[in-house]
Amino acid sequence: MRRAVPAGLHFFARGVLIAALIVVQAAARTSGELESGRTFDERQSQGPGDVREGYESADYRTRSRSLLERRGVPMDLIRLAETPPLGLPPVPVPADNPLTRTKIALGRKLFFDRRLSINDTLSCAACHIPEQGFTNNELRTPVGVEGRAVLRNSPTLYNIAYQEHLFLDGRELSLENQVWQPLTAHNEMAAPSIGYVIRKIRRMRDYDALFEEAFDGRGPDILTIGQALASYQRMLLAADSPFDQWYFGGDPDAVGDRVKRGFALFSGKARCIVCHRVEADHALFVDHRFHNTGLGYAASVSGKAPETTRIQLAPGVFTEISRAAVDAVTRQRLPNDLGLYRVTESPGDRWKFRTQTLRNIALTAPYMHDGSIDTLREVIDFYDRGGVPNELLSPLIRPLDLTAQEKHDLEALLHALTGSNVPDLVADAFAAPIGDLSAEDPNWAHENTLGY
Amino acid sequence: MKGTALFKCLAMAAPLLFCVPAPADETCMSPYIAKIQGQEDYVYVWTLGVEGVGDEQDKLVTIDTNPASDTYGKVVNTLSVGGRNEAHHSGLSDDRKYLWAGGLDTSKIFVFDIHTDPRKPVLHKVITDFVDQTGGLVGPHTFYALPGRMMITALSNNVDHGGRTGLAEYNNAGDYVATHWIPTDADLRGAVKSGQLADGYGYDVRVKADLNIMLTSSFTGWSNYMMDFGAMLKDEAAMQRFGHTMVVWDMHSRKPLKVLDVPGVPLEIRCAWDPDHKYCFTSTALTSKLWLIYEDDGGEWQAKEVADIGDPSTIPLPVDISITADDKGLWVDTFMEGKARYFDISDPHAPKQVYEAQIGSQINMVSQSWDGERVYFSSSLLGNWDKTGDADEQYVKLYHWDGKELTHQWTVDFYAEGLGRSHQMRFGSYALYGKRPPAGETKLAAAVQ
Repeated sequence: MRRAVPAGLHFFARGVLIAALIVVQAAARTSGELESGRTFDERQSQGPGDVREGYESADYRTRSRSLLERRGVPMDLIRLAETPPLGLPPVPVPADNPLTRTKIALGRKLFFDRRLSINDTLSCAACHIPEQGFTNNELRTPVGVEGRAVLRNSPTLYNIAYQEHLFLDGRELSLENQVWQPLTAHNEMAAPSIGYVIRKIRRMRDYDALFEEAFDGRGPDILTIGQALASYQRMLLAADSPFDQWYFGGDPDAVGDRVKRGFALFSGKARCIVCHRVEADHALFVDHRFHNTGLGYAASVSGKAPETTRIQLAPGVFTEISRAAVDAVTRQRLPNDLGLYRVTESPGDRWKFRTQTLRNIALTAPYMHDGSIDTLREVIDFYDRGGVPNELLSPLIRPLDLTAQEKHDLEALLHALTGSNVPDLVADAFAAPIGDLSAEDPNWAHENTLGY
Repeated sequence: MKGTALFKCLAMAAPLLFCVPAPADETCMSPYIAKIQGQEDYVYVWTLGVEGVGDEQDKLVTIDTNPASDTYGKVVNTLSVGGRNEAHHSGLSDDRKYLWAGGLDTSKIFVFDIHTDPRKPVLHKVITDFVDQTGGLVGPHTFYALPGRMMITALSNNVDHGGRTGLAEYNNAGDYVATHWIPTDADLRGAVKSGQLADGYGYDVRVKADLNIMLTSSFTGWSNYMMDFGAMLKDEAAMQRFGHTMVVWDMHSRKPLKVLDVPGVPLEIRCAWDPDHKYCFTSTALTSKLWLIYEDDGGEWQAKEVADIGDPSTIPLPVDISITADDKGLWVDTFMEGKARYFDISDPHAPKQVYEAQIGSQINMVSQSWDGERVYFSSSLLGNWDKTGDADEQYVKLYHWDGKELTHQWTVDFYAEGLGRSHQMRFGSYALYGKRPPAGETKLAAAVQ
């Protein structure tokens, strides 16, 4: 992916060469040639197949993609760990869970298996949808088993390998352990116990021998299921973005002037870099810390539902409905989200949330811990205002006094953080089998039951 | 499960027995279904389980509807099926011996034997692998009988839980036959995109058999229909995920012919019975309009808005509709208002509301008898969309209709009875199977009570 530019070329000639390279690469990407050499329509990796751009207008025209087109191309994921895409540091891998191809493949199969939920309806991928940035672009907050509400926006899994704290309140510390929470949470996949998941997998014939092969004879258990899922998620490394090619790759033409100005703001006046850190040879755009921006505070304390809500009924058709009408059909009441406080119970930690990576941010709308902001421009506006004042507001958050042009440039930078290998990862994910209940699987209505 | 051989035998025989369309009761079902002559004996209510109510799981509830019975207007049987599957719609097989009922969440299909003992249905078969067999369809919705077949619309898919979906075709034995994907821009499947939209969404299906036309409509995907209604209304991203199309299909070849723009979420489809009436109606849930889908003088199928339902700016949310057997009247239920409206559709291009009544705090389905004299209403829309608190009334109510006014006959309170939330109603009858209510059954039913 890196494009070396021979030194000493005449400036004009070098520019032409780079332009030509860009054109060649763009052409290759348009035609969908992946690292593997096989073809894949790159547009399939850039958002929901049910395209809703322009939906607010009566002139909206659908551009719906066919589900039958959603065919993948597998890749050798472990190579990403061996040579991380430009801009990423070496992948931290626990000593007791070394990466292997069989383990990664098994983890991928588990990740897309809807049978791991209590009623065979939800997989990990239901809330971390590959073409939607391994998050969910279509909902502010995800929906769990039986439609149960989930408190927070689904975080992207791109580059999750580098997170020191998992979940937006940081309550878990390793991917291996983390996987059990969504599997067993009542409002997510709702498996009634760890033992239930283990038994169910053991009675699914399509898993026969897969664990034993991946774990030196060891079958599915509390450790191996976590290790397999963690191994796949650890491989979702997406970088070598235009920014990386410019900043770390030394290609002056990988990004335009807007992006360069945006980065100057990012690391200067706007001070984004204080939390979204960029190191000398890599960038994760996180500081592994927790901050109160006031967003959670506003929702918990000062947030009062408006008298009316503007809702869209059809393309170009809106109406206002009263709070009473909305309340009449609001069945699920969620607790206030106090962030890190829910883990430490320290009053000083109220409304602190983990710094989110900015890599691939253009693919992961809606934004913030509650998905309450729809666009990157609105996120920039939020920080420009200095967040929401409260007694625990991070001292790092303060009004920025950005001009419209500066916001524009920052937005350009954020759009330049999308990894060039995202289509490869999405194509690989599309190639994964989706685990749906078959007549041979354990179920009370089948000959093969859960064995109780 | 037991009875499979008999089921297959019936499936093979069915196309021969029922190849001639016959009028069916209630008025909105497939023309290929055997028709109850006269009084229905039972109404089967596909009922959602609710946490904290009874055994908390979905069930088929049987209500005695024969005025001559000692248990008239009473629950005489319940059959629990395990799980809260988001029980929604149900449909009868062409021979009317089996009732297929779906779960929008789990995509399970429960096939009930309603002919061996119409008073006490039994679970004949559970289809658990609908998603796997159909290539990823999620949320089986409408069960619509075609000769020897069950055509099943789906609402969603297993890759993004959005609204792109298709129809699944099963035979009467419950074996998967084919998947028919709803056209999208990328794959119109030979259909003409007549307007701006080809979203690929699905909801209901109906046929005008004499014209060899099949129609489908569109709703929303799993993420929306499963989520809290109030939360969805406040979620701008979610509110963009609704369907605004209908598709005209060649009924016999199952090929889509034309995608029509019907903005506002067209749900139930009701086609006129008279062969000379080349049209069907639908109502749009979010924009609260009646739409006419009709064949024009040039033989082209068109869609046009023909009436408002209440005050659309207040989102009355029209849900079920029911056409009378003479094609002159249309019942329209509005969930948010809890009202039933009656439209005079003698001129289908200019329907006029002539009556309305408050049925409850919320309302969903309506089923009327062939003669139009008996109109049943139920209350539940979706598990996470129903109203809350005191407004969460759950009922089946029978009214008599004299052409001018509804007169309440009885109510079964589904919460007081520990049942759950009442959704689709289908009629049952002994006479369909050459039977009569067995002597002493009313006494037995009384004991059940």
